Amino acid sequence: MRHITDVYRALFSIRIAELLQYRVALVIWLIEVALGPIISIVIWSAVARARGGTVDGYTSATFAAYFLIAMLVNYFTQTWVFWEFEWRVREGTFSPLLLRPVHPIHGDIAQNIAYKLLMLTVIIPVSILIAIVFHPVFHLTWLAAIAFVFALLQAFVLRFAVEWALALLTFWSTRVDVLNQLYIVVLMLLSGQLVPLAFFPQPVQIAATVLPFRWMVAFPVELCLGSVAPGEILPGLAAQSAWLLLSIIILIVMWRTGIRRYSAVGA
Amino acid sequence: MRSFLQPFQSLRLLWVFFRISLLNEAAYRANFFMQVLQSLINLATSLVLLLTIFSYTSALNGWRPAELLALVGVYFLMGGLMNVVLQPSMSRFMKDIRMGTLDYTLTKPEDAQVLVSMQQVEIWRLVDVLLGIVIIIVAMFWRGTIVNAWEILGFVATLIAGAMIIYSFLLVLATISFWYVKVDNILVIFQSMYEAGRWPVTIYPGWLRIILTFIVPVAFAITVPASALVGQLTWYILLGAVILAIVALLGARSFWRIGLRHYTGASA
Amino acid sequence: MPSITIKRLRKAYKVYEREAGVLAAVRSLVRRKTREIVAVDDVSFEVEPGEVVGFLGPNGAGKTTTLKMLAGLLYPTAGEISVLGHCPWKREKAFLSQITMVMGQRSQLIWDIPAIDSFELNRAIYRIPLPTYRDVLDTLTDLLELGPLLQKPVRTLSLGERMKCEIAAALLHRPQVLFLDEPTIGLDVTMQRRIRSFIGEYNQRFGASVLLTSHYMADVEALCKRIIVIHHGIILFDGDLTSLVERFSPHKKIVVSLDTLNGYDLQAYGNVVEHSDEGRVVFQVPKDEVARVTGKLLADLPILDVTIEDPPIESVIEQVFAQEVIV
Repeated sequence: MRHITDVYRALFSIRIAELLQYRVALVIWLIEVALGPIISIVIWSAVARARGGTVDGYTSATFAAYFLIAMLVNYFTQTWVFWEFEWRVREGTFSPLLLRPVHPIHGDIAQNIAYKLLMLTVIIPVSILIAIVFHPVFHLTWLAAIAFVFALLQAFVLRFAVEWALALLTFWSTRVDVLNQLYIVVLMLLSGQLVPLAFFPQPVQIAATVLPFRWMVAFPVELCLGSVAPGEILPGLAAQSAWLLLSIIILIVMWRTGIRRYSAVGA
Repeated sequence: MRSFLQPFQSLRLLWVFFRISLLNEAAYRANFFMQVLQSLINLATSLVLLLTIFSYTSALNGWRPAELLALVGVYFLMGGLMNVVLQPSMSRFMKDIRMGTLDYTLTKPEDAQVLVSMQQVEIWRLVDVLLGIVIIIVAMFWRGTIVNAWEILGFVATLIAGAMIIYSFLLVLATISFWYVKVDNILVIFQSMYEAGRWPVTIYPGWLRIILTFIVPVAFAITVPASALVGQLTWYILLGAVILAIVALLGARSFWRIGLRHYTGASA
Repeated sequence: MPSITIKRLRKAYKVYEREAGVLAAVRSLVRRKTREIVAVDDVSFEVEPGEVVGFLGPNGAGKTTTLKMLAGLLYPTAGEISVLGHCPWKREKAFLSQITMVMGQRSQLIWDIPAIDSFELNRAIYRIPLPTYRDVLDTLTDLLELGPLLQKPVRTLSLGERMKCEIAAALLHRPQVLFLDEPTIGLDVTMQRRIRSFIGEYNQRFGASVLLTSHYMADVEALCKRIIVIHHGIILFDGDLTSLVERFSPHKKIVVSLDTLNGYDLQAYGNVVEHSDEGRVVFQVPKDEVARVTGKLLADLPILDVTIEDPPIESVIEQVFAQEVIV
């Protein structure tokens, strides 16, 4: 008997040591990633209940679908370039990157994708958990599904270009963290992550559509949910492409001027 | 007589730590403004969400708009209290164990738990405390009904009880470092789950409610004091919070002492 | 009345043995082999008030473990230990107020703020009355030349400047016992000398007992009349430096300068350990032979210059470790 308890004790303490020492970060990540959508779904389901079942046509199941997809699209399109750049300029590790024959943006894209592959270990279980607990319901047509794939890819490039261009502002000022904070909150509000854009008053919706934010996250989500009328799909994709092109142009211009400034001011 | 004076002497020490942080941070006005900006952004997000929700319904799970606003105020208030001294001190304690500098704390003629709990102050987090108080006052005015002395007393009591419970929880998490040194991220668990405290815990499905009450005590930190403000506090919840606070403090203290004995190589 | 008394002190750790190989790893799940590591074994000594004692020993010898037990940071496994009449591991406030610890490479000063603020913190923690504090601070500022350093954030100070502030911070409450664990490690030679002379002066002025561990012979030579050599947790030697050298170095070196080396059978006089073309020859000779050999050399050879040297203390200590003979 003593032997068996020894075994259990040994097994537990090894498992616990491993878990705590190497997996705490993963568990925390899991909680962080899961909590946002869960809270949103719960809150809006409560609102729906208070109104007898729906909010503007959204049921609990629709909300579950919305916030689950929003989480996934956000995961797919997000970047961390801003903090990378801040760190690079502070530590002076930017110069070596400039000496390489490859444009630094490629390294960042590669790192972004690699990191996201790693994150799948958390994203997949969380998605399954949310799906099981909240029973999301999707209305996906074939057209919308195909459009969704295109929209998702364009969204990724668009958001990456915009955020990389913003990160370049570190060439001009060290206090760009203020701008970053503002960008994050505007993104949060206008990209439909906090609340479906349809729930905002008209002027806000227009702002979100004219600015690139709707096209970064909300549009692919709306496609997946079937909220985009078939006639709106192609114009939507076109608008997204327009913003994509514009953002790439801005990026190139900012890069050229930024690099000149960086070399002039001091590497 | 000595042990009766103990908590007051600890307060004197707390003031020293505050003073140090204040004197040294006062020069960095940029940090102050950054904190203000972040807090305002945080508030703005909450307000936008509340506004949108209340354009669709007049009450959420029995909580009216003004009452939810008061809850948001408590969220900021408690969050500020936590982040001004508790969280930074616990982080520093865990770093000290990794770096081997905890020995300095242990050779000081002051209770190690006291020192560890207040050794690091981030003064600008007081902005959240102030903001929280302002929000609460605004919310109470908006709500209109006059708050009587009992409700205020209940609020203060549950607030203190909630703070004690949070403190005990964080201390227990940090004490784990005595055994497993690499768990520096463990405090982030609480920070993440604290986000759920923006809403009354009663809104969440049963399993989440239990987690947020008994495992990560967010309910006692925010929902319970807020319920006191809006007249939803019952005698037994108040009593429960106070009892739980005392039990939590004693439990955390015992666990701390066990951890310290382990660290200093006392035979179990 | 000694300020420190240790009787038969022992500290043992249980360590889990991990063997290589998958089979062994699986086996270790079921039954873990424990091994006992004895860091300090049956150590006894006494320190009088005002004594400066140096602990020498290689890494892992047990010096730091002993020091930590004296400071109350570790519980002993067995034995009696008394510092200033207190039991260190009880960590009574009266005890902790009278001791101090300085660990080389590890800082108690708060990184981002000026040193003076860390001093203020210590003043509050040790409850030093303001006039006393100002007095001590003035003295320390003088002795250590801290003037311009105090207002600068600690992270901007060089290692040597930081060490001076560390030591000052540790002495604000005028402790009676100082535990210094490798205080000069990493410092440049000038700074090492400054710190050494300060410790010596502090000891003279305030009569505090000092227990010092170090790798640097220079520290020990300069400061410690008494040396305790520890290896594998056992005391190999406890006494003064000269006895150590006398007891353990059976040889001395005779260094002669000759006009020319030609034709002389130097080996006949003694063991030649070095010789150079310029005529410098070094003989290693047993101590009791020194007088005789020197006499013979002077008589037989055209000697320009002769010196008799003790071997470097490092090699003596090494010998002590190698022999592990208890003196």
